[in-house]
Amino acid sequence: MTIHNERRSWQLQLLILPCVLLIGALVVYPALYSIYLSLTNAALVGVAAANPRFVGMLNYVRLFNDGSFWHSLVVTFWFVLGSAVIGQFVLGLASAVLLRRPLRFKNLINSIILLPNAVPEVVAGYIWISMLAGGEHSTLNRLLGGLGIPSVQWLQQFPLLMIIVANTWRGIASAMILMMAGLSAVPPEICEAARIDGASPRQIFRFITLPLIMPNIFLYMLISTVTTISIFGFIYALTRGGPGNATEIIGIYIYNQSFTAFQLGYGSAVAVVTLVISMAIGLVYVRALKVQV
Amino acid sequence: MTKSKLAISTVFGGDVVAYVTLSLISIFCVIPFVWLILASFDGNASLFLRWPSPWTLNNYIGIFVREGGARWFLNSFIVVGTSTIIVLVFAGFGGYALSRTRAWWKRPFLYTIILVRVVPPPALIVPLYKILLTGNNAVGSFVRSFLNPESVRPVMLVVGLINGYLGLILVFAAMQLPLALWIMKTYFDTIPHDYEDASLVDGASLFQHIRFVIAPLALPGLAAAGLFAFISAWGDFLMPLILLSSTELQMLPLGLFRAFLRVQQIDYGFLSALAILYMLPAVIAFGFARRYFVQTFSGGVKG
Repeated sequence: MTIHNERRSWQLQLLILPCVLLIGALVVYPALYSIYLSLTNAALVGVAAANPRFVGMLNYVRLFNDGSFWHSLVVTFWFVLGSAVIGQFVLGLASAVLLRRPLRFKNLINSIILLPNAVPEVVAGYIWISMLAGGEHSTLNRLLGGLGIPSVQWLQQFPLLMIIVANTWRGIASAMILMMAGLSAVPPEICEAARIDGASPRQIFRFITLPLIMPNIFLYMLISTVTTISIFGFIYALTRGGPGNATEIIGIYIYNQSFTAFQLGYGSAVAVVTLVISMAIGLVYVRALKVQV
Repeated sequence: MTKSKLAISTVFGGDVVAYVTLSLISIFCVIPFVWLILASFDGNASLFLRWPSPWTLNNYIGIFVREGGARWFLNSFIVVGTSTIIVLVFAGFGGYALSRTRAWWKRPFLYTIILVRVVPPPALIVPLYKILLTGNNAVGSFVRSFLNPESVRPVMLVVGLINGYLGLILVFAAMQLPLALWIMKTYFDTIPHDYEDASLVDGASLFQHIRFVIAPLALPGLAAAGLFAFISAWGDFLMPLILLSSTELQMLPLGLFRAFLRVQQIDYGFLSALAILYMLPAVIAFGFARRYFVQTFSGGVKG
């Protein structure tokens, strides 16, 4: 029996080998390789493209003195805070709470809120270009014009706010789904008992429901922060980081430095900083999940 | 006020607030699509919202007769479809092994999988490009060594790692594998070991056992893993942007993006119809995947 088990254990390791190779070669190795690249002056064109030189911490020194890098980090911070932590969360939680009631059109409303989440990023960018276009004929200006608000060049005047609004639109569903899962795990007997004891719906929500779904909220915050830092295509299709660099979130900054300015070494240094931030959040996530082996 | 009246008024009042709030959120969610749908049926579509005049289906028909729209669909299906199949096969076997093994590396491996999932793809584009470029040169000289020069280019469009199907297929597969492995591992955890013991005692080999006992039981887990891999790769824009340049290989996200960059001569009707057809597979897949969504972040998938 032991021989049998030992052979089986080897076979199991063999079964997982393809996954290890593929993830190792195309995710883990590149992540480590980017650390090496960030210590060189690698470039896409010119002398440094053929013979990259080791430059030590030079890229990092340049990075910390580079206003455009800090600008990009700040833009990313507001983008994550505004869309994932506040916008998607508040609207998602509100939808999840309200959709627990026995309302008419419940399934229809549910599907409508899910729809933006299902759309490919380029399509989402494309329709928001039309939505936010300048001039009095664009969709948003027409709607607001009906309320007597003069037309605005949305993407020129409020670029950061607009990508926050657009990304909130895109992610309400993921917050809603996670919050629904949390709410459905709250035992109805507890709320019923509190109600009989005379608690108002607001008090029940504040003192019973909210503490009980706190783990879900925490999990949502971690996941949405990491995924929002990873966003590239949606905002690139919508603004390409502009006007100027007003919406240059970190993903677009890496792309521009590496493939528009051709500075692969410097782009890698930015990538490493981003990796470190994401990994730090990922470690908290690992601890929070309490993985069952 | 009697108690029952109070109850009725709070329920009613609460529902009005609920309807108003949910309507506002729904309007916010649905309004951007209105222009897209109207423009796709409009013979003279523009960037601005307007009632179609004349109504037409030519935009949809146009996708398949001009500008390589059909080609873009084909390329997207080839790349995303193949990578999804690779993900299913690898994650099916790997997830099973991961669920059943008691080896020392199990826990570190699971932690690594979670950490790999939070790696932002934009942070990988530079090293990935360099690695694939090196690999591509190797593949290129290999292909050149036994093929005549004029057939090298078409072959490289398929097996090339840069500007070829194969490179993008492998990258998509590698990116989607961690989540798929996770889904399959937690799914196999829910299948009792009793099944295995029975068939193993009957003398089945591990591979027979997987083929006839485990695979049929794994179908719901595979469905979830496949749907998420498909949705994520289908919508991705960054990797084709970095890895593909030939017009023959153009995929839907880039075809659409490049077409609406041509400021002077944008055919909004055509683009809107294309965008709608592009988003349909993703929306349908999302409809099926929705019920597995929560489990991908925490526990296992229940079939």
